[in-house]
Amino acid sequence: MKDRIRQLWRSMPIRLAILLVALFAVVSLLSLAASYAVTQSSFEQTIRADLRQDLAGFRAAPNARAVALLVDAESREADPNRLILSYIGPDGRIYGNGAIAQDDEGFHIFSLNPERAQFSGDYLSLTDTLYGGLITVARSRAEIVALRDVFVNILLISLLPTVLIALSGGLILARRSKRHVEVVSSALDRMTSGDLGARVTIGPRWSDDLVRIGGKLNQMAGAQEAQMKALKGVSSDIAHDLKTPLQRVAVYLEELEAKVDEDGEVAALVSKTQDEVNDMTRVFQSLLQLAQVEAGSPRNRFEKVDLAQVCRTVVEVFEPSAVASHHHLTLTADLEEAFIKGDRALLGQMLSNLIENALRHTPDGSHVSVQLTAQDGQLKLIVADNGPGIPADEKDKVVQRLYRLDRSRHTPGHGLGLSLVEAVAGLHGATVELADNAPGLRVELSFPR
Amino acid sequence: MKLLIVEDDATTGAYIARGLREEGHVVDLFDDGKSGLIAATSTSYDVMILDRMLPGVDGLTVLKTLRGAGIKTPVLLLTALGDVDDRIEGLHAGADDYLAKPFVFGELSARVSALARRPQAIENETVLKTGDLEMNLITRKVTRSGVELDLLPREFALLEHLLRRKGRVQTRTMLLESVWDIGFDPGTNVVETHISRLRAKVDKPFDRELIETVRGAGYRIAA
Repeated sequence: MKDRIRQLWRSMPIRLAILLVALFAVVSLLSLAASYAVTQSSFEQTIRADLRQDLAGFRAAPNARAVALLVDAESREADPNRLILSYIGPDGRIYGNGAIAQDDEGFHIFSLNPERAQFSGDYLSLTDTLYGGLITVARSRAEIVALRDVFVNILLISLLPTVLIALSGGLILARRSKRHVEVVSSALDRMTSGDLGARVTIGPRWSDDLVRIGGKLNQMAGAQEAQMKALKGVSSDIAHDLKTPLQRVAVYLEELEAKVDEDGEVAALVSKTQDEVNDMTRVFQSLLQLAQVEAGSPRNRFEKVDLAQVCRTVVEVFEPSAVASHHHLTLTADLEEAFIKGDRALLGQMLSNLIENALRHTPDGSHVSVQLTAQDGQLKLIVADNGPGIPADEKDKVVQRLYRLDRSRHTPGHGLGLSLVEAVAGLHGATVELADNAPGLRVELSFPR
Repeated sequence: MKLLIVEDDATTGAYIARGLREEGHVVDLFDDGKSGLIAATSTSYDVMILDRMLPGVDGLTVLKTLRGAGIKTPVLLLTALGDVDDRIEGLHAGADDYLAKPFVFGELSARVSALARRPQAIENETVLKTGDLEMNLITRKVTRSGVELDLLPREFALLEHLLRRKGRVQTRTMLLESVWDIGFDPGTNVVETHISRLRAKVDKPFDRELIETVRGAGYRIAA
């Protein structure tokens, strides 16, 4: 849940919606508070003016006696919840419907009517001396209190629902645009993983900028696809153009072979030439295969492959060669089966290249071990030997196409083996690490499971 | 057998046509897709050999058209070097086997005869025999002249494969594909090694050799 909220917050449209709603709420609250303050102070001024007017009325009486009579008469008419009049005469007698007293907490008005001991609520009062006595007029602030309630009500029944509606509307819009962004990002994911046909399907209700971005992306993908197609065209043209002459050479060599004495010198030359043609074919084959793997096209036919089975088969296939060159080739597999999504032939080819490399570049009697283990949620395929290894500064270079270490110049091979290993690993989302086996080379392939 | 070859390169086409005729087959050779297609639909062949890329109507289209018309004649597709996609596409379009150029004649000839005799009643048998050699597929015992032979699993599989196709040449790549189940050439001598191990057990102690090497092509067990 927490993660979901955090994820939502990270989405830009959602953030925008929430910020806008918050801004709206703050502005509304501020304006409501300001109008409340203005209304309140104008109410208070009105009450104060009324009070001054009241007092002025009593001041018009000619003497204390008249004031007392006036107060008594008016207080009988007045509702003590609204207006309180009080006159303490020079003789100390109290007239009116209430009196004012002071204690530690401030001023209090209490009733002179025995039924009501004290009034509740706030009052604004004005006191003055008059003819040796003390006159007090107090008016209730109830209206101002009511005003506060009105404002709170406005807040509750108008602002709150508005904020809620705006917020949910914002969220809905944000989620919609998030969905649109996701369409773009999933198309991008497919493009980067080699699906050149992937396009952004632009919806009818998309925002303009997203439509523009989607359109540009599609344009880019289209251009890239066209380029790839052209490249594939070139490589398949080369393949086609080469296959005919190579085939003819093979045909002529076979015809020649049939015409000469089986054990003679010419037959040996023919056989050598055939070997060279086969070698040449293998180099072309590897180059073309490398181009295809790097273009990612074999990914379309990925299926479930048991890597453990591939290891067993390939190691078995190399066993006779290993014996012939006095190598110790071993397979250690912790797993009976290890399924991944991939291309079986390419994975087999990759492992073949690694074992072939190890056998070829280590002296007789060396150990070559193939290991398959599950580690940290990954599948590790390791081919290690105890031969001379690869100098640290050349590790990056050996995966380059046709690169060969100086000391390997005189051993057979065409320098494409490790390039293909890296390309096939990349195609399967695996990483390749060339480590020091102290002594020897340790090639570690880590496949995601 | 009556065979159809559609191959645009004259040298290669003439060479394989001659080779197949020398083996006793009747061969029709065409150098473009259109005439190949006309021949394929009007004549009944045992096996057709189609080049993937042809001028005019290309090999894959010819193949699809034939399959679409319900013609089920086995087809061997000749593909360009290294084009894995071509191969997969070919098999999808209905090819029964493929052969990448450049190939040697022995490979082509072995694959053609494998295709021609593909439906085999022998598949359901429990005992495979040739001469005095017997293989029981249920008890997994192999005897020759009544003497039990001790074979390793892969040697057993290799012998079984040859026995099921006795009298027919199996090339190195065919054996790698069927017995080892690998679709690429590892460039090792694994087939040769296993054949010689098998010979040491099956042939050496006895006076007649059953496993033959066919020069330039592969191996075969005597029928």
